[in-house]
Amino acid sequence: MANKKVKKIFTLGLWQDNPIYRQILGICSALAVTNLMLNSLVMGIGLIFVTSFSELTVSILRNYTPKHIRMMVQVLIISSFVIIVDIVLKAYYPSMSKALGPYVGLIITNCIIMGRCESYAQNNKPLYSFLDGIASGAGYAIILLIIAFFRELLGFGSIFGIQVLGEWFTKWTIMVMAPGAFFMLGIVIWIARSLLPSEEEDSLKGEAVS
Amino acid sequence: MKNIKKSFSYPIIFMILVTAFFTLVLSLLNYTTKDVIAQNAQIDEWKTLLYVFDVDYPNDNDKKIEELYKEHLKPFKVDDITIYGAEKDGKKLGYAFPVEGNGLWGTIKGYAAVDENLNTLLGVDFVSHSETPGLGGRIDEMWFKDQFRNIDLDRDNKNYLEYRPAADGNVDAITGATLTSKSVKNLLNQDIEEFKDLMKGEDLNGK
Repeated sequence: MANKKVKKIFTLGLWQDNPIYRQILGICSALAVTNLMLNSLVMGIGLIFVTSFSELTVSILRNYTPKHIRMMVQVLIISSFVIIVDIVLKAYYPSMSKALGPYVGLIITNCIIMGRCESYAQNNKPLYSFLDGIASGAGYAIILLIIAFFRELLGFGSIFGIQVLGEWFTKWTIMVMAPGAFFMLGIVIWIARSLLPSEEEDSLKGEAVS
Repeated sequence: MKNIKKSFSYPIIFMILVTAFFTLVLSLLNYTTKDVIAQNAQIDEWKTLLYVFDVDYPNDNDKKIEELYKEHLKPFKVDDITIYGAEKDGKKLGYAFPVEGNGLWGTIKGYAAVDENLNTLLGVDFVSHSETPGLGGRIDEMWFKDQFRNIDLDRDNKNYLEYRPAADGNVDAITGATLTSKSVKNLLNQDIEEFKDLMKGEDLNGK
């Protein structure tokens, strides 16, 4: 039973209900940091950390939190974890902190975290909520890495900063700029949606875009 | 439990407790990492100073950067402004001074270096700014900063820097970031002028 539930959490988060191409959440940062794979990886890890621990905390406190102030409590919890990520990056990974710049602080505005806290952690046990956070965060991170892979490869001719395409390759500068992000994101959503069974279309109702 | 949660004071006490807990955790974390962050900022500043004098440094070797900084640069004060004198192989390179001004979204801070006779701009680098990433934020990119090397400051008018294609242009602006580019030009022109005035009456021998 427990195993089944865990499996379901991960298939939903990673594939069937992936935050980016199913729920269209977290688009802002998906467009912003995907010009390099390393940035996307660190952003993804940061988001996995923040989402999972926020969901865990929200879930632990869910029976004690008065309903009408739950949003305030969630924002407080999420922002605390975001600040932790920010401080840790600044202290032990300053170059990455500089590269990501304002986007670390902007993790807090990522709809995935608040969305999962509100829809999942509020009604589920701490352990499952924690796993759900990891699954959703990983679903986000994987899509970011896929987009970043193509953008970095075509835009810089490199993967994780290692040059793989030689001098002969004409760099597609547009891929590392904003339009490239929109093209890639559109293509990824298109492919993912055409691979998914269409009967699930009905479940898409009342979603926010960030 | 249900009744307590509906009471007036429970939500307030609950909120205070949760806030106090997270504030405590964050301040502890902040306290323990304060020194490391300060150290990182210091190294960043040294890198900036080495860069404006075009001294090569290894990017990830903090010890070497500190050595190079101590070997080449010497801070001194003129009217409460910290200025860095630089030497290389016993030869005087020039002076670096802090520059600061309004960008599009916030204050741009950095350093500029001029040669000994205050006639040539040696280099410019920015320590902090809050310009739009990808647009104005590109003032951090090498191609932009490298343009400010060896620019003649011996001009009649006070526009030391001018963007091409103006007749006396000597650097390129950033496409799509006109306002940031303008701010950078203005703050540099103004601060170079002020620095020249500041140094006029100073006896710089041995500094």
